[in-house]
Amino acid sequence: MTPTVDCCAAGDGPADRTLCGLRVLSDLPLPELRPWTGDDRPADLRIRLGDVPGHLEEGLAIHPLVQVAPDGRCRFALAAVGAYLISSDGREVVIAPAPNATGDEIRTFLFGTVFAVVCHRRGLLPLHACCVQVGDKAVAFAGDSGVGKSTLAATLWTRGYPLLADDVTVVDMNGPGGPRVLPAFPRVKLWRDSLERLGRSVDGLGAVRASLDKYHLPVEEGFCATSLPLAGLVQLEKSRKVPAGIRLLPVTQGLGRLNMVLYRPRLMLRLGTQAQQMAQFLRLLGSVGGLRALRRPETPAEWDEVEALLPAVVG
Amino acid sequence: MGGFYWIASYPKSGNTWMRLMLASLIEGGAPPDFTKTMGFASAAGAVTDMDLFLDVESSDLTPVEQAELRHDLAVVTAAAATGPQFRKVHDWWGLTPAGRPLFPPQVTLGSVYLVRDPRDVAVSWAHHSGLSLDDSIAFLARPGAVVATAGRWKDQFEQRLDSWSGHVASWLAADPAPLLVPYERLSADPAGVLAQVAAHCAITASDAAIMNAVTVTRFDRLRREEETHGFELGQRRGRVFFRRGLAGGWRDTLSAAQADRIVQDHGPMMARLGYI
Repeated sequence: MTPTVDCCAAGDGPADRTLCGLRVLSDLPLPELRPWTGDDRPADLRIRLGDVPGHLEEGLAIHPLVQVAPDGRCRFALAAVGAYLISSDGREVVIAPAPNATGDEIRTFLFGTVFAVVCHRRGLLPLHACCVQVGDKAVAFAGDSGVGKSTLAATLWTRGYPLLADDVTVVDMNGPGGPRVLPAFPRVKLWRDSLERLGRSVDGLGAVRASLDKYHLPVEEGFCATSLPLAGLVQLEKSRKVPAGIRLLPVTQGLGRLNMVLYRPRLMLRLGTQAQQMAQFLRLLGSVGGLRALRRPETPAEWDEVEALLPAVVG
Repeated sequence: MGGFYWIASYPKSGNTWMRLMLASLIEGGAPPDFTKTMGFASAAGAVTDMDLFLDVESSDLTPVEQAELRHDLAVVTAAAATGPQFRKVHDWWGLTPAGRPLFPPQVTLGSVYLVRDPRDVAVSWAHHSGLSLDDSIAFLARPGAVVATAGRWKDQFEQRLDSWSGHVASWLAADPAPLLVPYERLSADPAGVLAQVAAHCAITASDAAIMNAVTVTRFDRLRREEETHGFELGQRRGRVFFRRGLAGGWRDTLSAAQADRIVQDHGPMMARLGYI
């Protein structure tokens, strides 16, 4: 039986949207995704509401949140939000929402870990990075949670750099012309104090979780909806002990920071895709000229300096 | 399969000093390098560990979900490790909201619990946190006290300390029982105590390495390093981390009434530990 809950009441038929260049047909409304305007192909990704088993048959329970079955299906679940079942080919996600979960909450994890599994299954490389357009190319800024990716994305956006992605930057390594960033959706997740520092009120913004002081900021105008070649990969650093500005890291350091650059890197091990993902990451580092590092800008002067350095990053 | 040695204490009880000693000891007595972020024995409540090992954006989790998953984080991290891991802990030895141990015995190789006279803790905590002495004393007495309060992003999860007495009581009853290290003994006999801690944590160390580790982590030396390079570990902005490092320094700072209040608040536990 298909669960029906208020958060998930769909209108006429499934939503027809686009995410990272994929055509997404979804029973769950996905208001932050742009409508699909491409060809008449069948859905690349089908999102259904339905039952998700508590335990995958012969499922390997890796921890309470993730199970992977021998046939490649993957289950992600959070009790207060719902359970998600991702097919082994990454073409279908079934969602069983928890009774009181909001649509915002369900989509938060759908666009996070769940979509990362879809990417791994489809041979796409998800980076833990925000991404902006500089000239006719893309630059991704990677880093751990809380290092300031969303603040950087929103600040550069207010300074006129179109946004491609906030927290997860999906890279397609399969094209002939080198890595391309596939645009995500025009939203940035920010805590209240970060929003207020940007001069934005939280009034009217949807909360990421009902009980968290963290919100979705729409960035409709100034969103780059077309894929762009990735020209630079920069890791954000919080420590004030590193020099200001952008610097190129030695190759060994770049490789050593894999866990801070890839999104959900241990999913590679869980899903058995590490050989492919590692090879993609090495090619990516090669094609962007290595990993760079940037001390998180804090003052207006430091933001100006970053802006001045961006043209050199895209070369 | 790895497991954990928890280096646990109420804040301002010598935890960082002990970790600097152990970090030096493991490197054969090498001096601490304050130009780099301290790499040894990171915090047990670190947010980035949960993102990495539980495949989730932990900053999208509620404080209750985070607290619950800390048990699983310990189990999964231990399973992924090939050797013993050291972690700094300020939480009390308590349970998750669903009643599972925060520090699961099955992945605990051992614990070291540092304890310090609460009169010295109150003075040091006031300096570290920016509270007045009276507010600091009240904080030490507060049942259910927490640090790294949830509500916005932090690099550590909310940690329940409980009152100072409650914190000590929880760790003295921990499973498995910890090695109890009074700050005052560490201060008086650092080499002897370090040797004992090393043995408890299965660290093989020569007498020379222990002497070196003690020498390079002497308090005056840490203070000089901090003056030169800085040392940021959660203290109020602009304040030094390594302040005095004295046992009994409270005598020239607390009023008689303030000292008496601490004894009233924590008398039974202070007596049990020989502080009164």
